[in-house]
Amino acid sequence: MDVRAQRDALLHHILNAEREEAKRLLLSIVHEDSYETALRDILEPTLRLIGDRWSKDAISLAQGFVAGKVAEDFIANTKGHLLTEMDKESPIVEGSPPRAAVLGNIEDDYHSLGRSMVISFLELRGWSVTDLGNDVLARDLVDTAVRIGAPVIGVSAMMLTTARNILSVRQALRERGLENSIALAVGGAVFRMRPELAAEVGGDGTADTGIDAPDLFESLRLRIYGNQRRENR
Amino acid sequence: MERIGALFTGAPIDRPPFTLTLSLYGARLTGCSCASYYSNPDAYAEGQRAVVELCSPDIVFSPFALALEAAAYGAMLDFPEDGPPYLKKPAYKSIHGLVVPRPHSISSSPHLSYLIKAAEKVVADQNGARPVAAPIVAPVDLPILLLGLETWLDMLLFKPDEARLWGQLALDHFISLSKAYSDAGINFVVTPVMLANPLIVNPDIARRTLLPVLSDAFAHARLPIVFHHGGNKLGQSLGMFRDLPNLLGFVLDERDSLVEARQQVGPDLLLLGNLNGPSIPYRSVDDIKRRTISILLDRNGDPKFIFASAGADIPYGTGKEKLVALRDLLSGDPGSLP
Repeated sequence: MDVRAQRDALLHHILNAEREEAKRLLLSIVHEDSYETALRDILEPTLRLIGDRWSKDAISLAQGFVAGKVAEDFIANTKGHLLTEMDKESPIVEGSPPRAAVLGNIEDDYHSLGRSMVISFLELRGWSVTDLGNDVLARDLVDTAVRIGAPVIGVSAMMLTTARNILSVRQALRERGLENSIALAVGGAVFRMRPELAAEVGGDGTADTGIDAPDLFESLRLRIYGNQRRENR
Repeated sequence: MERIGALFTGAPIDRPPFTLTLSLYGARLTGCSCASYYSNPDAYAEGQRAVVELCSPDIVFSPFALALEAAAYGAMLDFPEDGPPYLKKPAYKSIHGLVVPRPHSISSSPHLSYLIKAAEKVVADQNGARPVAAPIVAPVDLPILLLGLETWLDMLLFKPDEARLWGQLALDHFISLSKAYSDAGINFVVTPVMLANPLIVNPDIARRTLLPVLSDAFAHARLPIVFHHGGNKLGQSLGMFRDLPNLLGFVLDERDSLVEARQQVGPDLLLLGNLNGPSIPYRSVDDIKRRTISILLDRNGDPKFIFASAGADIPYGTGKEKLVALRDLLSGDPGSLP
């Protein structure tokens, strides 16, 4: 099978919720060709295509969920390759913050689906994620980010009522003088319906879909790096 | 009751029947706190008497408070001052090592007992004057309230054996509650189906995972079932659901086309809709009237159409004048429509 046929096959497996088949296909490419081919030429372009369709509502949440699971399976079965590969493709500039993030659903929110998908896609792109789970207090998110030196906190909420609780994270960052060293990414169903809500709740950015989250996190990480360089001048 | 009955006998009717989802609004009309309204069957029945007095709809509802069904299994609820209880936290934090629970008997759950007693009281008040409908959680959606969407989706897609166990609980719960509603004198149940939304589960996957569960549940229900759009467009999925057993018809979203829906479901099933209820407070009386007239003209001559508000309950804060305007328009002579 050539690369195009392999991508088509993977897309078919994901859209039809054929998780095992998707895993087998990717692992066979790792074994018969290389890890790099499986990740760069097959999985990532397919996920980009799915992300594109997803942002246009052309695929369902269930199919996006399967994409997340396929990414998760790939990571679990190829541990060791991933960080090396990410370092090769997109090396961390010396002195810049690590690709480390703290994630959680905000206080009173128990809708974990989006968060789980974001974690899979972040890890696939070489991020180290500390997942605090559901119903997380602002102070726990900030304390953890400070402790592990994470430049980004990602907070998820599904409903308007719980999304408003995210303001408490912004408030905690402000009160502790951390706004220039930790960025706040927000996401969840309600932000897709009302993107302007991200700024209203104190977010530094949001992404249309879970697949787009790594680009957002990387841009926020670089923004924090820029802040640090300015402060050090 | 004659007007609704005529939908099935083909007898001539003076005007199309209508209903408005005013389950919550009864609390506003009687000045009852929502916490009391959704726990005291007498308070609920009094609210529905006030609804009938104000709007005289052709169908009334028992409590539209789906979260109470999940509360029977331990889900944590919040009781807002101006709305029905909603789910704050699913019943089970983790399914690791969890034995799938048995469905609760109605009498052992204060929440389920409330739903049934309130239904009995509304039925008794109506005394056959108009049918009473009971909202009920769709069997494919109950596990979302118990486990969360992620866990349920994971099971449906990848763990069919576990999905079957939880699907069986949802099925048993649905059958037991619909039987209790039937015993309470309810005429039909209305089940909003969230997972019917093609943006959540696309038709190919839905056909494999959801349809068998719905089909089994509907076949065993003791009452006819109205399939509610659950807050999402349903039009493009009607073909998949129209052959479900025991199906009375569909409540459609305001964005759905009733013409296309009728073409898809054929002449025999009821169509209900499609003025969005939750949007009523934010629309002018003129806009509400325009939309209503357009729906009525569109469905003129459709013998299986019931004008109904779509979506969730009509909000607590809705101005009474808007409901009165709707009532006057809907209960008037259809020949006088512009």
